[in-house]
Amino acid sequence: MSSSDPLELIDQYLDRVRIYLPLDSEDVIVELQTHLIEEAERIGGGTMTAGSAMMAIERMGDPKNVAHEYAGSGKKVGPVPAEYVAPLSRMLIVLAGVALALIVGAMMIGATFSDLFGFGIENWPFSIPIMLFINITIILVIIGGISLLDRSKPLTDKTTLESLFGIGVEGFKPKTRWEAAGDLVMGIIWGVILLLPPVVALYTDAFRVFYIYVVVFLLLGAARGALFYLFGENNFNLSVEAILSVVWIGLALILVNVGFPVQYVYVNQGGTWVTFDMLEFFQTNEIPFVPFDLIWAFVMFITVAIAVWRIIVSSMKITMHLRAGKGIWWQGNWGERRRLRKPFWKRVLGDQDSIQEGTVYHDGYMDSEESQ
Amino acid sequence: MSKKTQEELDRWSKEVKRGAVTLAILALLSKKRAYGYEAVKLLDETMSFLALEQGTVYPLLRRLEKRELLKSEWDYADPTKPKKYYAVTEEGLKALGAMTQTWSVLSREMRDVIMEVE
Repeated sequence: MSSSDPLELIDQYLDRVRIYLPLDSEDVIVELQTHLIEEAERIGGGTMTAGSAMMAIERMGDPKNVAHEYAGSGKKVGPVPAEYVAPLSRMLIVLAGVALALIVGAMMIGATFSDLFGFGIENWPFSIPIMLFINITIILVIIGGISLLDRSKPLTDKTTLESLFGIGVEGFKPKTRWEAAGDLVMGIIWGVILLLPPVVALYTDAFRVFYIYVVVFLLLGAARGALFYLFGENNFNLSVEAILSVVWIGLALILVNVGFPVQYVYVNQGGTWVTFDMLEFFQTNEIPFVPFDLIWAFVMFITVAIAVWRIIVSSMKITMHLRAGKGIWWQGNWGERRRLRKPFWKRVLGDQDSIQEGTVYHDGYMDSEESQ
Repeated sequence: MSKKTQEELDRWSKEVKRGAVTLAILALLSKKRAYGYEAVKLLDETMSFLALEQGTVYPLLRRLEKRELLKSEWDYADPTKPKKYYAVTEEGLKALGAMTQTWSVLSREMRDVIMEVE
């Protein structure tokens, strides 16, 4: 599905190159982007057209070769060609990380390993990584066949294999500014809500002992959000993220045993709000299934799985940045991908200011590059 | 020219280019800093024998930067086309001086040898 927008063509092509590059190669993408735009303008006699962009792309060549030339020292690993080593290992790390996160999350809520080695895996958390593995194997076999059909695709269209490798790219993308702002705002909002006396009155006795630690954790999470919002991804912020994730796992160990934190809800009785004991309601009405602890275990499972994933990603990125000699602190970047094409809302509303004389492109670029 | 001679010429040209390209890039960038695309075009215009393409120039620029012979600086003046400018470092200038001297000796001696053949 090739576009007629030259910038979209370049963007699509660079998306393919990005898949084969190591993590933290955004500067290479920007350099190639500038090269392609200038080359397309030169070919088009000063104006970039879809045709001139396509010619510039064709001159640059196959995305995996381009990425391999830039990555430089990529080496073949076993039967895997050098240009596939980075995307394949990244994808496998993502899958292994997801599996590990799910297993740790399952252990937290007390799921047992007893059936794991006897193949009688009925505990649903364990079946997820195994299903993932089986399905990915099947997909890889199918993709081997589909890839044969991809050969005639234009250079700007991702192959099926590249779509799969895209999982690895997405899995390690830095936090976007929106996500960081979300962490900041939601951390403060929930921290304050959990502190409100009318809310505290709803807690179980057991949770009332620990809720202040949850509030502190939420506020620390908000501080982490502020750090990422202001300074992007750097080793200091990644360390904060990893430490907070470890702290959360420790806290979750206690909280999962504390049980569902809310025992009461407010109900309106004759114009006044009174508390209503949910647990008592279930027990006095002899409702056999009390879902609260199950809900709580599920919440803990999800949050611990996310925390484990964050520890894995942060540790990998910190190591990678240290190897690149970046140290601890720098003005980092965010996960917003620089889109060359005009955003949909601007296309609908029209954005004449952004279209320059003599050129037909617009850029959603924000000055988010690392200054180091 | 026979096919065999052409093959030999191609092989020899490749070897000569491999040795000359670092010197060419350092020499050009020592006069004036340039960003990637500019460097590719500059080399294309001034060093036709080398016939360098972007696939060779960009990785080489990065390698020379890693070896601290070049330094780079991003210029975001045109946000649609951020440019990474490369310039020669002090270490690069020293290396360029040494390479130029060696190249001069080599080319003088080669010229003498070739003249004898002619």
